[in-house]
Amino acid sequence: MKHTLKYFFSFCLLIVQVLAQAQETTETKTTSEKKESVSKIPEAPKVVTAKIDTIVPVKKDTIVPVKKDRYGVRVGVDLYKLTRGLYDSNYKGIELVGDYRLTKNYYAAAELGSENKTTEDDRLNTTTKGTYLKVGFDYNFYENWLDMENIISIGLRGGFSTFNQELNSFKIYDANPYWGELPWQTSGKSYNGLTAGWAEVVTGVKVKVYNNIFVGFSLRMNMLLFDKKPSDNFENLYIPGFNRTYAGNFGAGFNYTVTYFIPLYKKTIKPKKSVKK
Amino acid sequence: MKKIIALLIIILFTSSSCEKDDICDANTPTTPRLVIDFYNISNASVLKNVTNLKVIGDGMTEGIVFNSGASGDAQYLTNGSSISIPLKTDSNSTKYTFILNSGNPNPTLIDIDEVTFNYTKEDVFVSRACGFKTLFTFVPNNPYIQTAVPITKGKWMQVISVEKSNIANENETHIKVFF
Repeated sequence: MKHTLKYFFSFCLLIVQVLAQAQETTETKTTSEKKESVSKIPEAPKVVTAKIDTIVPVKKDTIVPVKKDRYGVRVGVDLYKLTRGLYDSNYKGIELVGDYRLTKNYYAAAELGSENKTTEDDRLNTTTKGTYLKVGFDYNFYENWLDMENIISIGLRGGFSTFNQELNSFKIYDANPYWGELPWQTSGKSYNGLTAGWAEVVTGVKVKVYNNIFVGFSLRMNMLLFDKKPSDNFENLYIPGFNRTYAGNFGAGFNYTVTYFIPLYKKTIKPKKSVKK
Repeated sequence: MKKIIALLIIILFTSSSCEKDDICDANTPTTPRLVIDFYNISNASVLKNVTNLKVIGDGMTEGIVFNSGASGDAQYLTNGSSISIPLKTDSNSTKYTFILNSGNPNPTLIDIDEVTFNYTKEDVFVSRACGFKTLFTFVPNNPYIQTAVPITKGKWMQVISVEKSNIANENETHIKVFF
């Protein structure tokens, strides 16, 4: 978990830098444009008296930024799950992520994953294996400048998982340890055919770093809607995709992704706002 | 825009700092102890206090602590009418030595009985934090074997009565001892 946090934080910082850089460059562009326009203004009155033609290119300048939104499919993987297996011997997992742009701000989004996780609690050692699918949408509330395609989104997912749990070993809780420390007992009992469904609220960021390659992270708050518990004498301690279960049916998760955008078609945006102004 | 990013980062950093909450609550019913109440042999409905009773598990050097506030030998002694003693969770029988008037300078007044409790056990899941607990059921034919030490002396526990053969919690009396 410490490793996880360390990598997570370092990634957050990286993202923050990328965001900051992205903003700085565009800001300098706009400021330079402003400077140009400012520097042009004092010249203008002089020219107007001589040539009237110069007005025409000025008009063209206002029309030039014809915004075209690219529509397509974005596919990728969750790097966190992929790399965790390298340093955590108790974990193997993969998550494929994808989204499809429906309208200007709405994206259909899905995650498909598989996990194999051994959890070592103080008195329980369990292994959970299973697959999951999350389907939903993201709403991008980030207003991009020019041809930027960054996303800051909030979204919803419905998640479903089928999985098995195996109780490897356990300890008896003894509030009165007169007979000495109790040893771990091996069990090996497996509980198959378990299912769970939940809803997720997702906040996420995706930043275009190079051509069609995006990096992003998302934070998820999960609410368990239903789960098929083991038939007797046990409960679902970990659900693939949902993560660790807590008493109040709440869970949390995150991912950081690298995705590739496959453009399919373009739509021109009519600059409605500039017309109104 | 920057405000939104800042807000997201704050949410991110605060929510990722959650800690383990895996502490078993002391009020959770876990592995129950055997509850023994002492009654007056001449008036079976009246509880009777024992005098300086010491209970030692077989193979153990120290007795069960009944009076944790006291120091020295006194912490192993009880003068009440009810005791709770833990059964072994890794064995189907537990042997205890019950010493009445323990520490009395006159050895003839010290009464010693050995009782072996026979039971079957079942491990039941409690929670992530508490793990499992063990519940016990007395073997119907011979729930206990009682011998006096030395064997020529009479048993000070004159009647042992199994009230509850299922030991599932500590809120009820499992065994009544009449003396």
